[in-house]
Amino acid sequence: MNASSDLAIIGAGPAGLAAALAAAKAGVSVVLIDSAPRPGGQYFKQLPASFSGSDSLTHQGEVRQITEALAHHNVTLLMDTVVWDCHQDESDWLLYLFGTTAPKRLRARSIVAAPGAYDRPVAFPGWTLPGVFTTGAVQNLIKSQRVLPGKDIVVSGTGPLTLAVAANLVKAGANVRALLEASPIVKPKTLSSLTAMWAQWARLREGLDYVSTLLSARVPVRIGWAVVEARGRQEVEEVVIAPLGDDWRPDKTRQQVMAADTLVVGYGFTPNTDITRLLGCRHARRHARGEHIPWRDRDMQTSVPGVFAAGDGAGIGGSELARLEGHLAGCAAAVYLGRMPRLELERLRVSDTARLARERRFAAALDRLFTPGSGFDTLADDNTVICRCEQVRLREIQAAVASGARTANEVKGLTRAGMGNCQGRICGSLVARAIAGAGATTEELDSVGSFTPRPPLVPLPLTVLAEALP
Amino acid sequence: MRIKNETTRLPRIARGRSLTVLVNGKPVTAYEGETVAAVLLVEGFRAFRHMPASAEPRGLYCGMGICYECLVTVDGMPNVRACVTSLRDGMTIEAGAQP
Repeated sequence: MNASSDLAIIGAGPAGLAAALAAAKAGVSVVLIDSAPRPGGQYFKQLPASFSGSDSLTHQGEVRQITEALAHHNVTLLMDTVVWDCHQDESDWLLYLFGTTAPKRLRARSIVAAPGAYDRPVAFPGWTLPGVFTTGAVQNLIKSQRVLPGKDIVVSGTGPLTLAVAANLVKAGANVRALLEASPIVKPKTLSSLTAMWAQWARLREGLDYVSTLLSARVPVRIGWAVVEARGRQEVEEVVIAPLGDDWRPDKTRQQVMAADTLVVGYGFTPNTDITRLLGCRHARRHARGEHIPWRDRDMQTSVPGVFAAGDGAGIGGSELARLEGHLAGCAAAVYLGRMPRLELERLRVSDTARLARERRFAAALDRLFTPGSGFDTLADDNTVICRCEQVRLREIQAAVASGARTANEVKGLTRAGMGNCQGRICGSLVARAIAGAGATTEELDSVGSFTPRPPLVPLPLTVLAEALP
Repeated sequence: MRIKNETTRLPRIARGRSLTVLVNGKPVTAYEGETVAAVLLVEGFRAFRHMPASAEPRGLYCGMGICYECLVTVDGMPNVRACVTSLRDGMTIEAGAQP
């Protein structure tokens, strides 16, 4: 079965949902695609359909409102579905889908990419040991599965989500042995006001609640410290912590060892750009941390006409910015498709300018405070695995560079880094910075480039590939 | 460990109906809506698999289907992501074996 629509939206989080509603209201036929079983993305992560109960952790009321509104319009939801290839076919886009109820192909005249983000990977000795989880994994376990990841837990990371995870772990009944906020430029006195600032941006009561939960549970909080190594034979048994200098370089002369069976790490987020890169959109590095983001005009259109990008996948900004961008992208797609007068889009852009600017200011402020400095790249030693899938160690990447490799794709060809199951989603930015070297500028990182995404974007059963052949 | 309503300050929830899955041949009671990763963690598994060649242990890492570290065998199908696979009654799960 093949299907067609005016607009394909990839990702049903805050940005994708807002884009779907805006475009559908203008009379556009929409197919909204997401790999999860229920819409909402990571932010609106819902309880499983068979669970019931309060939604105050997951904002299910909000997502229900949007999906009910979508039901009144020409919107098809394709859940449990991944897009594994996409290319232009005359004036249309052809998307190749894999999912239990999905058609094999979808023809669309326009695309909104709203793929969201995932935890920014940071490599350190022992980061592949079972018992090391990302903050996203632990939030999912607590919010959606109501399962604890372990018993004696150390949380090491930076930014508001780290606080949220630590507080949720305490509320769930876990023993949080320490919360390490790595950013050395965050001062103890400013932590609560920062939380309040973030909370205004997101949710006031939640933010204050996190701090009071941690204070009342007497969780030891260390600012300017981070876990620099996880140790254990088959799983985490202890972690090594150390204070960080101004550029986040760990001072290993002052390191300490803590017993723990579980380590939760979260150093911000990485935009998921495999779709926009596959579509040929021009990307640029935002700063020296190295993440690529798609270039966009003020209507969220990428360098490829008819392809729009919104939300965290186009640069980390949080759920509120994602919603605003998604709405704008949905309207701009409607204009592109001839279903909305351009004047209406102009009017919307003017009315949303102040809100967009405010959200971006917050995002920029958080980015300045909570982005790892270049010294954090010294965490990995020669023997540390960089590409988890293909088990490529830092010394192998350095050897490839010493033998003349200068770009991410050249290192990929020599070492297999980025060729495994995850297709470089985890190691891509790590490999780029390993090539560019410590203290590299944004321009130097740009010259390293990134892995070229190739279909299939995700591992597939061979039968799916065979059936896709013309 | 499952979070219990009696001992948590999180909002109360009710899990789905109970079902039985086989974890490395052992019958385990779990709940509809839970993922393979959740039931493995509850059963005390940390290493979900061991890497070929190096035999390094790997477990749940990203928890959202991105990293492909939590691969297990489900109903005879290898390389299934435990974190995004929901349980079905009677499902067989093979995990943690040394290569």
